[in-house]
Amino acid sequence: MKYLKQVLGNDLRQLPMVVALLVLLIGFHIISGGRMLTSSNMQNLISGNAYVLILAIGMLMVIVIGQIDLSVGSVAGFVAMVVAITARNFNLPWFVAVFLGLALGVLIGSWQGFWLSKMGIPGFISTLAGMMIFRGAVIWLSGSISVPAPKELQFFGAGYLPEWGPAWTNMNNSTLLLGLLALGFFVWSQWNGYQREKQAIYGTRPEMWPMLVRAIGGGLVIAYVTWLFGSGRPGTSFPIPGLVLVALIVIYHMVTERTRFGRHVYAVGGNRQAAALSGVNVSRTYFTVMANMSFLAALAGILFLGRATAAGPGDGTNWELDAISAVFIGGAAVSGGVGTIMATMVGGVLIAVLNSGLMLMGVGADRTQVIKGLVLLLAVAVDAFNKQQGRPSIIGKIMESFHKK
Amino acid sequence: MTSSVDKHDNILEMQGITKEFTGVRALDKVTLEVKKAEVHAICGENGAGKSTLMKVLSGVYPYGTYSGDIVFAGKVAKFNTIKESEKCGIVIIHQELALIPELSIAENIFLGNELLSSGLIDWNKTETLTRDLLARVGLELDPSTPIKNLGVGQQQLVEIAKALSKNVSLLILDEPTSALNEEDSENLLNLMRSLREKGITCIMISHKLNEIAEIADSITVIRDGKTVDHMSVADGRIEEDAIIRAMVGRPLDNRYPIHEPKIGKVIFEVKDWTVEDPNVPGRLLSDNISFKVKAGEIVGFAGLMGAGRTEMARSLFGRNYGIYKHGSISIKGSKVVLHSVSEAIRKGLAYVPEDRKLLGLNLLDSIEKTTVSANLRKILSNGLIDFSKEHSVAEKYRKSLKIKTPAVDVGVATLSGGNQQKVVLSKWMFPNPDVLILDEPTRGIDVGAKFEIYKLVQQLADEGKAVIFISSELPEILGMTDRIYTLCEGRLTGELNTKQADQESIMRLMTTTNEV
Amino acid sequence: MQVSLTITHVSIRVINTHTKKQQRKEFTMKFNKVFTSVAALVAVASLAACGGSSGRGESSASSEKGFAADAAIGVSLPWLGTQNWKEAETMFEDQLSEAGFKPLIQAADNKVPQQQQQIEAMIEQGAKVIVVGPIDGTQLGSVLGKAKEAGVAVIGYDRLIENTDGIDAVVQFGSIKTGELQGQALLDGLAEKKGSGPYNIELFGGGPADPNAPNFFKGAMTVLQPKIDDGTLTVVSGQTDFTQAATPDWDNSKAQQRMDSLLSGNYSDKKIDGVLSPNDGIARAIITACEQAGQDIPVVSGLDAENESVTWIWEGKQWSTIAKPTDALVAKSVELIKVLQTGEELPAADDKADNGVIDVPLYELDPVVVTKANEKEVFADDAERMALLK
Repeated sequence: MKYLKQVLGNDLRQLPMVVALLVLLIGFHIISGGRMLTSSNMQNLISGNAYVLILAIGMLMVIVIGQIDLSVGSVAGFVAMVVAITARNFNLPWFVAVFLGLALGVLIGSWQGFWLSKMGIPGFISTLAGMMIFRGAVIWLSGSISVPAPKELQFFGAGYLPEWGPAWTNMNNSTLLLGLLALGFFVWSQWNGYQREKQAIYGTRPEMWPMLVRAIGGGLVIAYVTWLFGSGRPGTSFPIPGLVLVALIVIYHMVTERTRFGRHVYAVGGNRQAAALSGVNVSRTYFTVMANMSFLAALAGILFLGRATAAGPGDGTNWELDAISAVFIGGAAVSGGVGTIMATMVGGVLIAVLNSGLMLMGVGADRTQVIKGLVLLLAVAVDAFNKQQGRPSIIGKIMESFHKK
Repeated sequence: MTSSVDKHDNILEMQGITKEFTGVRALDKVTLEVKKAEVHAICGENGAGKSTLMKVLSGVYPYGTYSGDIVFAGKVAKFNTIKESEKCGIVIIHQELALIPELSIAENIFLGNELLSSGLIDWNKTETLTRDLLARVGLELDPSTPIKNLGVGQQQLVEIAKALSKNVSLLILDEPTSALNEEDSENLLNLMRSLREKGITCIMISHKLNEIAEIADSITVIRDGKTVDHMSVADGRIEEDAIIRAMVGRPLDNRYPIHEPKIGKVIFEVKDWTVEDPNVPGRLLSDNISFKVKAGEIVGFAGLMGAGRTEMARSLFGRNYGIYKHGSISIKGSKVVLHSVSEAIRKGLAYVPEDRKLLGLNLLDSIEKTTVSANLRKILSNGLIDFSKEHSVAEKYRKSLKIKTPAVDVGVATLSGGNQQKVVLSKWMFPNPDVLILDEPTRGIDVGAKFEIYKLVQQLADEGKAVIFISSELPEILGMTDRIYTLCEGRLTGELNTKQADQESIMRLMTTTNEV
Repeated sequence: MQVSLTITHVSIRVINTHTKKQQRKEFTMKFNKVFTSVAALVAVASLAACGGSSGRGESSASSEKGFAADAAIGVSLPWLGTQNWKEAETMFEDQLSEAGFKPLIQAADNKVPQQQQQIEAMIEQGAKVIVVGPIDGTQLGSVLGKAKEAGVAVIGYDRLIENTDGIDAVVQFGSIKTGELQGQALLDGLAEKKGSGPYNIELFGGGPADPNAPNFFKGAMTVLQPKIDDGTLTVVSGQTDFTQAATPDWDNSKAQQRMDSLLSGNYSDKKIDGVLSPNDGIARAIITACEQAGQDIPVVSGLDAENESVTWIWEGKQWSTIAKPTDALVAKSVELIKVLQTGEELPAADDKADNGVIDVPLYELDPVVVTKANEKEVFADDAERMALLK
């Protein structure tokens, strides 16, 4: 247990989820006869779920401030429809249409943020209204008829990185390059962190081996992922929507963990009054988080539009629930103040893997639904159990048994 | 009173009570003997095990999870739930009141014990009984008044009325007067006296030693989970100093550290500060208040509940509370207008709120995150939070304030009250303010930790800061401050040099409505 | 596969070696051990990365004609919430198995993203043909593009699939045609049951988010509009636009609410003679609303030949429904799959439709109007439904 902590850091709450994820991946891989961990399946998994994961990023922040946004699915559908229609009817170039769509997302977000931060109407209610308003608007606007999207959007929704350079790598060289960059950055940051720890005045002298284990272990994971995504059919690579997602994860991880705004988000969610007395502008924080949510919903809608090649009147139905499940499986608290982007992503990917694996096994939508419901409940129950006072956490118990042996 | 009761007529005997939480022995063979119809005080520092003992007694920790025997009213008691202990006549009233604000007095009193006739609630009977109960606790209120319209003192009395409705024979009061003003506290103590005369036994957990000395018939002192002393009026041994000695395990000569102030120029000046109540239009929370604080000076603000001390402080702190009408603030000689809390912090003001858990802390945060939370700018590098700076800031305060914790990345919720308060203080020391407003800085903190906080406050004053010290405890005001302002109903009613003040003179000014 | 297993193996060892004992002395030794296994893993992973690159370099679409006679065939259905889709699932299962194929059947709960992922999963599973009953025929472009690249043939089932060149054929009952039949059935019923006109009628459409719903309505209106114009039919409420008549989500209860308010608002002193209903569930909701309002039961059209409506028609409560015999549609699909298996050209199509990218060959089947008069005849081979007609 102690060594594990040295390697992974003191916060082991995510560990059960990550372990569950690995177990599922490998379990499905074996059961499906080797179809799970293949390039094409992983590419599909990422491009098929990028939009939900993007929504989950925004939803995490909304849930951390103690609110909820039920309108994200409708907003995504609405924005996608507006983008498709403006591009077709006004002959706008695709990037203008996309820009308009994102601006519309911000505008809608400002509307939701206004009701929460200025009028004090709980997000549950204002976004419930938003859910109806924008769903109605999609159907109204489209006349119930799907509208084809500009061809260029397919690149964002389902596209791949270009092929170039020598063929002897036997991989998509764009993916390979990205993988090498990620690998380099990761190893460098581990080394850097170690050096900084060594220089710091506080604490005991750090040991070198946990850093090495981390660097090598993490490096191997990155290498494997690079290989997995890069070695698919020629013309395929790490998918573009996945790239958009990764960029967003990095940005929002930094925003939530390392900026004043991020601290304010957690402070407002943890204790609104104490935050106000610490100089946090509570209503501005509310506003920004809600506006950001709709912006991400717009982005998710546009990515989906690219994948679906057309905007339909039913797009986005129930997406909010998928995003919310990801956030809660990732260990966020209903009462706010708790939850991280990374854990949410693990939660979202867990559902995606479950979906994909069950499909590969040929389990129907009906039973998949039942299983997903149980997983949500189980994940939250494990979390609740861990938090109960006076009890060692489940992971602690597991580790304890390792100790005794 | 006690002399009329047979010495061996104990209503409660707890023998050799031991309770362990994973690895920690919270109670170690504690003995508690309580005579029938007495007021029995339990004293001890925070974390000594008082509350744990009461939870064992009331069945919160069911029989079997502790060892030792409980004999109540002559019978061995094996309670599994609170419900069972209540059935036997043991009722516990917690520090945090458990009344539902939107329901009426009558509904609250009979909540969970509704009076039924043929399956429906009998409202007539409920109301009549409630009237009787309210009369017994000395409240003249309509039973249908919603709880939210009652003051804290009245709510406390409703809690007791609720206990009486359950035919209580042993009433446990956990810090009953900690949230009450002097007048309400006096009322409550009187009520306890009259309950005693009617044969109801009271166990009272309190930090207020003067009250204990005033009312208790006997006292059990617990320290570190063990019974260390037992005193009773009959033995003629109850005096505050003796209790303190037993509680802290060492003689405490000075409850307030000796301090020689180094007073400089006026650096904080408030003129004609007037603020309106946000809930009651027209009512002024602060009415043309003007005062000055010098560098290095500790200035006390005394007033009864509702005098407007907290409201004034929060309105000064970036208009955090109330509706600003007029008035001006000068810091270090220049006038400032503070529209928001963040502006107030930037201009050198800090406010440590009275309610630590509600207003002072995000209990989900770690110590280090809390420490830097009022001054995040200082730990940014390239616009991003620098974790190692954050960590070293927190470490610095952990050492200098002697915060008892294994590490600074653990949650503040794991700390005791005194250490939590130290974290809150470090949070407000980090922005390095010129003016520090401390609102009840020692509430709910045990004696030992109080002393450390006092020293810290004096140290801050010595660094040249102006300190405003708000407290409900007059001895504390007298012991800590250099100068005292008194407030009554939103108005400044007096200014005293602490050396020439005593409790009576302050109290007189606190209760007068004449302005200075 | 190989790589992933190796990784778990090692990570378990990391945990084991690190938690068994705490003594520091043994640490160096353990560290060496871990380091060795990690190094070994690096070697394995890099080997695998170099040598074992699975799909890369293989050409996607196979040049040989046809495929194995026991190949996997994917069937992606929109959902199983109505009888016809549930029947389709069963029939595909039976008929494909019977033909010697390995059926992979999935239903998507009416969610487009889910259907996209299911189709991708079928491609993964090596299906040679995928039959797709789309939720929204315009939204499968990029996944069907993948199918095409992987050399998988796609047959649209029941609905046209648009915006993609990844579609080889569509087997369907024409939805405009279906609407026309509904409208005609309504007119016939009015003439037979309600004497001579003019007749008071109301119009109902399907779910506005379903692209078929406007087509049904459009088809029906080509028959009804002339009769409205010449005064034979009167839409008392005046609600003749699809958006006014639509039933959100095809939700029966919403249709019933709309009928209730139409009746109370417009028919307090009038008789209602007929109602155009887009499907059987809504038809029954309409009939129930009329009964509760004390009206004589009007002539109501329907669609899908659901069991309950088959009974109601037999009892004379509902006038008509339209059977789109699922078995015929499934049989036609399987027939095409068999042709594809042999690698021969598909038979000549009944029609072609421009889907925005290519002209898709359509194999159209005619739906059958069912009234009490021909009910026994239509269901003669359907033991389950025949049992209802007693």
